[in-house]
Amino acid sequence: MDLKLEDIKDISPQELEEVKRNVILTTFETLKGWARSNSLWPLTFGLACCAIEMMSASNTHFDLERFGTFYRNSPRQSDLMIVSGTVTKKMAPIVRRLYDQMAEPKWVIAMGSCAVAGGPYVNSYSVVKGVDQIIPVDVYIPGCPPNPAALIYGINKLKEKIRYEAKTGKKVR
Amino acid sequence: MFGVGLLKGLKFTLKNLTTEKPTTNYPDEPIKLPDRFRGVHKFYPEKCIVCNQCANICPTQCISLTGKKHPDPNVKKKIIDTYDINFELCILCDLCTEVCPTEAIVMTNNFELAAYSRDELFKDLQWLNENDENVRKENKP
Repeated sequence: MDLKLEDIKDISPQELEEVKRNVILTTFETLKGWARSNSLWPLTFGLACCAIEMMSASNTHFDLERFGTFYRNSPRQSDLMIVSGTVTKKMAPIVRRLYDQMAEPKWVIAMGSCAVAGGPYVNSYSVVKGVDQIIPVDVYIPGCPPNPAALIYGINKLKEKIRYEAKTGKKVR
Repeated sequence: MFGVGLLKGLKFTLKNLTTEKPTTNYPDEPIKLPDRFRGVHKFYPEKCIVCNQCANICPTQCISLTGKKHPDPNVKKKIIDTYDINFELCILCDLCTEVCPTEAIVMTNNFELAAYSRDELFKDLQWLNENDENVRKENKP
């Protein structure tokens, strides 16, 4: 971000001071984004068969811990929720409560067709059609189930998003 | 005898220290996938005969297609007009490629499909036509 303060006319000294402070804080935000993106701790939370692929991603062959992604057992300690599997209407309040228990900043990945849009249960009476109806989702990974490499790709995409949002202050849609 | 178990364990450990590491180096180098891997589809519009079989067999009804008349009035067959796969619903069951009589729709090995919004997962004819990397060589039964 290039901001030339000399080019800005019609600005009071107080405002100039505030802009300068904001520039320093922006750099700090970038640092925070870098730190956060390199230690994404997901919640150990599996709902259906996609959870098997999620477990497989942290095993020897794909070893998610290479990227600083450790599974944490408590929502208080985690900042990423991988919704892996079918969210039934009975499970939906619990998913929402777990999301609310997580400390800020927090992100959500919807993994698999079921979590993205309902998948094969799209005409069912008991399944939530997409987890984004109950919690805000950052990255959608389609597939039934997505293989561990696709999950790693999704997590890397989320890291890009975190860094971009911290650097520019814009929301990625 | 004292220490035999320790030596046995150490022998196993030392033997495994020299074996090849099973961890893939995934984001830096592509992973090896079998020929039957089911990724996102590749669609050939010129091969399609608008028979609607893929849309009928799809278990989640994620395929929708329309045909139009052939521009040449002497040719009776139809040609494809729009072909959309709602990939957020697709469960990659491979039934559409199995049922296609002209193999106009085939699976590829592309799995890197994560998106920031659900709208990006809606794949239209142009996207499916341009998706021509790692296409499956032949459809095996």
